[in-house]
Amino acid sequence: MASDLLSIGRSGAQAARIALDVTAQNIANASSDGYVRRSVRLAEVSSSGGIGTIGDVSLSGVRLDAVVRNADLFRQAEVRRTGADSMRADAEVAGLENIQAAVEQSNVYNSMVGFESSLQQLVGDPTSTSLRANVVEDARTMVGTFNIAATALQSVGTGLRFEATDGVTQVNTLSGELARVNLRLARAADASSDQTALLDQRDSLLQQLSKFTDVSATINTDSTVEVRIGGSSGPLLVQGGTAGTLGMTTVSDGTITFAVSGFAAAPAPANLTGGSLAGKAQALTKLAAVQTRLDGLADSLAKTVNTAQGNGIDLSGAAGQPMFSGGPPFTAASLGLAMTDGAKIATAASSDVAGSRNPANLNALRTALSASDPVGGMDGLLFDISGTVQGRTVTRDALKTIASGAQVALQAQAGVDLDQEAVNLVRFQQAFQASGKVMQTAKDIFDTLLAIR
Amino acid sequence: MTIISNSTSAFYERSSLDIADLRSRAEGLQADLSRGQRISRSSDDPVGASRLRQLQRTDQLSQIDVANAAKATTNLQLTDSALGSFADYVTRIRELTTQAANGTMTDAERNGIGQEIAQIRGNMIQLANSRDAQGGALFGGQSAGAAYTTDAAGNVTYAGTGTSGDLPLGDGQNVTRGLTGPEFLTLPTGSASPDLLTALKTLSDALQAGGAAAQQAAKDGLAALSQGMDQITTAQTVVGTRLAWVDLTTERRTNLTEMRAGEETDVGGTDIASTVARLQETMTVLEASQASFTKLASLSLFSLLN
Repeated sequence: MASDLLSIGRSGAQAARIALDVTAQNIANASSDGYVRRSVRLAEVSSSGGIGTIGDVSLSGVRLDAVVRNADLFRQAEVRRTGADSMRADAEVAGLENIQAAVEQSNVYNSMVGFESSLQQLVGDPTSTSLRANVVEDARTMVGTFNIAATALQSVGTGLRFEATDGVTQVNTLSGELARVNLRLARAADASSDQTALLDQRDSLLQQLSKFTDVSATINTDSTVEVRIGGSSGPLLVQGGTAGTLGMTTVSDGTITFAVSGFAAAPAPANLTGGSLAGKAQALTKLAAVQTRLDGLADSLAKTVNTAQGNGIDLSGAAGQPMFSGGPPFTAASLGLAMTDGAKIATAASSDVAGSRNPANLNALRTALSASDPVGGMDGLLFDISGTVQGRTVTRDALKTIASGAQVALQAQAGVDLDQEAVNLVRFQQAFQASGKVMQTAKDIFDTLLAIR
Repeated sequence: MTIISNSTSAFYERSSLDIADLRSRAEGLQADLSRGQRISRSSDDPVGASRLRQLQRTDQLSQIDVANAAKATTNLQLTDSALGSFADYVTRIRELTTQAANGTMTDAERNGIGQEIAQIRGNMIQLANSRDAQGGALFGGQSAGAAYTTDAAGNVTYAGTGTSGDLPLGDGQNVTRGLTGPEFLTLPTGSASPDLLTALKTLSDALQAGGAAAQQAAKDGLAALSQGMDQITTAQTVVGTRLAWVDLTTERRTNLTEMRAGEETDVGGTDIASTVARLQETMTVLEASQASFTKLASLSLFSLLN
């Protein structure tokens, strides 16, 4: 078999055309999300000589060997892992900030101090009706702010659970999509541009999935991917063409748990440690703790005041009646004001007569309040929340930096560099022109031969 | 193979991250400056925010202490002026009694003096039943009604409680808000009468009755009056001391309030000078990175290839 100059030139021109196409595709997708830079791998077409033709020249030009996708599996896994961490911290901080705003902006602390100070003011003149009315109004404000804080916390919880439900739906959509991509990948020809597009899609889906949950992906030899969530020993979410269904369960205290069904008979519980779903679950756990503490403060305050009321007599000499309703046990949401008349405040001791200016029982109430110290407890609660927010914000910022570092590292390796594509454009254009020259030469040779007379 | 080890999208991503970070930092500093407060949410500085909350609580309670101190001062001053009137009355009665003790006095003159003393005693009972700034009995302790009741025969009985009660002045300090009647009207044990008002009734009754006993009663009365005067001046000293104590705690409270205000500014206020300097620094870096970004972004090989 001899070589054919014309067909060698043709194959060279064709290869240069393909390379130019790939370069143009790279330039066009320079800012496409999830696009990985392609390059062509060319291979020589030649055959070794057979029996009797050893030493023969048998060159047949060049062919396209593969369209190479310049993706680094390790960097992609890093982007997924750090991205999931960053999203988790982001969701957690957002939830915690809402919790902080709910407790802080309801002004519970200030209204508790207001109640405390109006009680102290009453000591100065225990029979004054205006000071007594002041105490009742401050108590009403305090009850109102407790109710507002409880409602605000509840709506924070509702919002977080709603977003988590939406996240679960997204995860299920993405995992279904991934299973379909798996099926098509198993059928796609190796190293074809079809396969590279599917691989882009696969990696992009995995990255989107990692925003919601921590993804542990295993790439099989046929390029399909097996996905587990909640760590490498967690439950399977996608295997081949099958996708499991992620489910969310709300516990009675408002916290949430996750489980995957579809692979085993019973849903396999998933302990998510990354992604926005994990962040929301963590924020809900903190929310439950904050609600319990707030209820505890309301309970302690109302019980202390009501007990002290029962020990004394009011302005008319009758035994004191409870000031707060809604318990026991009182919660921040159930707390209500039972007393509307300032004259019912039991300032005098039970041994006194009606209209007494003796503030003995009022002093006992103030002593009991400063012993149980609900105001200090409230300050502690606010400090706890704000300290958590501050600490988590630092963590979140660090994780964000790490995640964007990993993202930039992946982009630097897998992204399109326009300068380089400009060089490629010139190079392959020259290659195309050179191959054209080869064909010109072949024609000239042919013409030379024909011209022999 | 790679000319620049940087893909185009990575360059844009990194630049936008850096510029956005600088911008948000500058905006944060600007917000600190315009608010004058370093802490807008507790999470900006949890320890500082908690300290601010405690300071504001102490401040609010301290304002109540100011009101209580003012109340105590008013009542003590009322007590003081009432005691002054008591002392004037007792002095007048002493003059009259000294005249009555004179042997040259006739029964008719003594009768007149006795009637005048009875009048003055009536004024003193009125004074003992005077009201404080809140409308309660000034000398009746914590009782709701009048301090002294008078029966048909003119005898008076104390109807108030044993003590006047304390007012808190902050930091665990208290002041007794006034005096009860018995605290300055009771005569020392061993006297002929239990208290001054009873002694005056005995005196005026005896003077009006006349006869030989009247002159002796006037002499006995002088002793009781002198003891009563001692009690009243002692009480005035006590009230003066209490007023001084209220002044002392007020001064201390003012100092503490100033200290708290200073600490609030230290903990929560914006340090204008350093914040402006940092803002300027951030702005300079931001402008520099924006300028360098435009320069780098316009560098493209495509524009050079023809």
